[in-house]
Amino acid sequence: MKHITKMWLGICLCLLIGKEVSGQSDSTGFYVDQVLNPSNDSARSIALHRLAALREPSTFPLLAAINDKKIYLLGNNPVTTGEKEELAGGVEGFTLFYLFPKLEPVLEADGKAKKVTVESLKKVDVSRTDRLSLAPVLPYLNLTNPDAKKRIIAYGQLLTSLDSLKIQILSEALQLEKDKDALTAGKEILFQLKLNEVSLVKDAKAYIDSLDSNWGENVTVILKDYSVSGKVEGAKAYAAKKVEALDELQTRIQKAQNLFSGISLGSILILIALGLAIVYGLAGIINMAHGEFLMIGAYTTFCMQSLFIDILGIKSDLFFLVSLPVSFIVAGLFGLVLERFVIRHLYARPLESLLATWGVSLIMVQLARSIFGDLTAVKAPSFLGGGWQVMPHLILPYNRLFIIGLTIVVVSLTYLMLYRSRLGIQIRAVTQNRNMSACLGVETRTVDAITFFLGSGLAGLAGCAMTLIGNVVPDMGQTYIVDSFLVVVTGGVGKIAGAILSGLGIGFLTKVLESFYEAVYGKVLILALIVIFLQFKPRGLFPDKGRIAED
Amino acid sequence: MGKTKDFRLYLAFIALFLIVLPLGNLLGFVSNNTISLWGRYFCFAIVAIGVDLIWGYTGILSMCQAFFFCLGGYSVAMHIVLKGASSAGKDGTLLPDFMVWNQVDSLPIFWVPFQSFGLAMILGLLIPAIFAFVFGYFIFRSRIKGVYMAIITQALALAMWLLFLRNETKLGGTNGLTDFKTLLGLSLSSPNVKLGLYLMSLAGLCGAYVLSKKLVSSKFGKVLQAIRDSESRTSYTAYRILDYKLAIFILAALLAAFAGMLYAPQTGIITPGRMDVRASVEMVMWVALGGRGKLKGAILGALIVNFLYSICTSLFPDYWLFILGFLFVITVLYFDKGFLGMIEMAVEKLGRKSRRIQPVAEKEVIHS
Repeated sequence: MKHITKMWLGICLCLLIGKEVSGQSDSTGFYVDQVLNPSNDSARSIALHRLAALREPSTFPLLAAINDKKIYLLGNNPVTTGEKEELAGGVEGFTLFYLFPKLEPVLEADGKAKKVTVESLKKVDVSRTDRLSLAPVLPYLNLTNPDAKKRIIAYGQLLTSLDSLKIQILSEALQLEKDKDALTAGKEILFQLKLNEVSLVKDAKAYIDSLDSNWGENVTVILKDYSVSGKVEGAKAYAAKKVEALDELQTRIQKAQNLFSGISLGSILILIALGLAIVYGLAGIINMAHGEFLMIGAYTTFCMQSLFIDILGIKSDLFFLVSLPVSFIVAGLFGLVLERFVIRHLYARPLESLLATWGVSLIMVQLARSIFGDLTAVKAPSFLGGGWQVMPHLILPYNRLFIIGLTIVVVSLTYLMLYRSRLGIQIRAVTQNRNMSACLGVETRTVDAITFFLGSGLAGLAGCAMTLIGNVVPDMGQTYIVDSFLVVVTGGVGKIAGAILSGLGIGFLTKVLESFYEAVYGKVLILALIVIFLQFKPRGLFPDKGRIAED
Repeated sequence: MGKTKDFRLYLAFIALFLIVLPLGNLLGFVSNNTISLWGRYFCFAIVAIGVDLIWGYTGILSMCQAFFFCLGGYSVAMHIVLKGASSAGKDGTLLPDFMVWNQVDSLPIFWVPFQSFGLAMILGLLIPAIFAFVFGYFIFRSRIKGVYMAIITQALALAMWLLFLRNETKLGGTNGLTDFKTLLGLSLSSPNVKLGLYLMSLAGLCGAYVLSKKLVSSKFGKVLQAIRDSESRTSYTAYRILDYKLAIFILAALLAAFAGMLYAPQTGIITPGRMDVRASVEMVMWVALGGRGKLKGAILGALIVNFLYSICTSLFPDYWLFILGFLFVITVLYFDKGFLGMIEMAVEKLGRKSRRIQPVAEKEVIHS
């Protein structure tokens, strides 16, 4: 009996002291210790209650881990589990994070992240009632979540919270913030909260300026709201002016973004149309199955990924670099087979070749569907993740930059091949006059086969690049085939320069028109523009000149 | 000789489809489903005649016939859907269900004329004709031909397909128009109406065939074939190529639209899926498989391919595209003249055996 009275006295004393020094980390440390190693159950409950009432940002990771039932002891320190990873021997393991006094990863002596199995950790069991006592602080727990996206959401939730301490808690949490995006988002909320509280014009203007220079996602919406229903009359016009300036900047950035995506779409079209244009110019073949070589290239990349990661166990981005040449060669070989068995019989009969290759494309799509199913995806290599931030809000993704770069390299190589090599001379000669070239000793059949190999290979390469920006589906080639034929038609038959110029033009115009109208109307408008264009230049941008131009 | 052979063929065709199938249906040993299936095949055969006129006879490969087909189909479907509409809009007019789901509260202005049956019929033919005229005028004026024509029309089909897929065009989007109830007060699900539509399609097919046959053997038809064989030489002899091409393009579009109008009430649904690029290429393939440049071949091709499609998709659905693709390739590579060419070749071989004793002179007369 005496024992119990003593304990209660102790607890009351603790509470008293706790009140006195609330906010100080000494007492937080004390309570944390109480939670982890309680002398008895009620001591833990009281400590948890206190921690919840204190709302000390440094304890949030700990409380969040308790709430998620993922709290363990490593030695004497509280830890939680991070991402699941496979350890040697196929056992499931986890990376660890220290929770208190600072959230940081647990490292081995050599600086690598420590990975352990769950079984090797000592679990701290906290009862359900105790966990429920955390309810009042739940909105704050994610403020220190290791995932930046969750932190951003947590910042946003503060906006609607009725807590009077939220500004203070937010600013404390922001001091711990290291992620750039999350910091911007958090500051935006902070400034907005403060702006809504101030009553002096000078202060309001200062916060509007801060919001403006912080330049978060929602700044225009916030300022627009403020210019309509703000508390401080004098600052409303100022906010409206800022909104206008921001809007103008936004449109300019949007334009730059459209320009960029137009160029990247154009470069894919160029990669596809290049092969198409050369083959059509050389042999008068309309290859409707050309898009399927794109598909083959994409599936080759997918197979290489499976081969490297699942079979060889090489978990790096190496597979993508290997896929580039392999997809070229595989698609080229398929092209050779097609040339040998179907196309060879159809030279200079474009309409028949169109129908026959359409049949081939049906077979190939169905074949891909029965082998690979409806939808697969290639995991983009990590070195192409992210983007080049030219300025805030204008990010050029690396994968699209990579595609543009690849196109430049490939087009230059094709140009060199056509205009600086012996093979190129032969290809151009056969394109101009097949019979005459044959008379002069050019092996026209071989030239045809090699050209077809190259053209199909280019499409395969385009397919490999396409996996960076989209899924791999059996009919992915058919989405692009009509567009790339339009590129060939507008560019002029068999002309590299024509294909490049019209590919860029069509890609660019598509994106620009899409930004003004819906994507679909953009397509209709493009078609109308091409028909009008062909009124003036029926044979494309760079028509053949002289006698060969006539039928 | 040739006349009597043709006559026997027509007689067999008429006997089978006008007498045997409908009688069988009335007596109950041919199912309603079969009747309506063949009715739809006849619609496809009408389109095929149009494709043959423009491609087989004039040499213009148009890859947007399915679009014209759907224009016809949609106009009838719009009329039927309006008649079957049950929910009232803001201004009291009845609205089809899909509009209510899409929060359209008053009938779009272009839907209004389709409330009347006569107007719907006229517009179903007029819109494709005008479309073909405008598009064809600009295409043929700039002397786009051959492959360029094929690609441009393909792009048109693609663009229009994308347009019809959207909900904003207020034509039902991806789901198209469906839930047809009555046409002119007749219930579309009753077997007698189905038989009637079947007979109408058959009559339409026969009419289209007879008219096209007259057309291709007339002077107009000869000019078309001259354009196919050498466009520049025809133009040197002072024929206005543009007019001829435009006329036949419009005619083919009209045939396609007419077929579409017969088709929609028989299927009970019309979706943008009927007008994508693949549908158009398939229409061309019917003609190529049947035998281009021969009207009989076009009809034969459309009937055979669609019949095969129905059989194959029920027996082994995964392989239909393999079969179709293989047929494409084989026909183009080895059987330039299609099924009809194959049949004629076989007949000729058999005939040559039995006629070996006949005098040479008569044989030459037959073949010329």
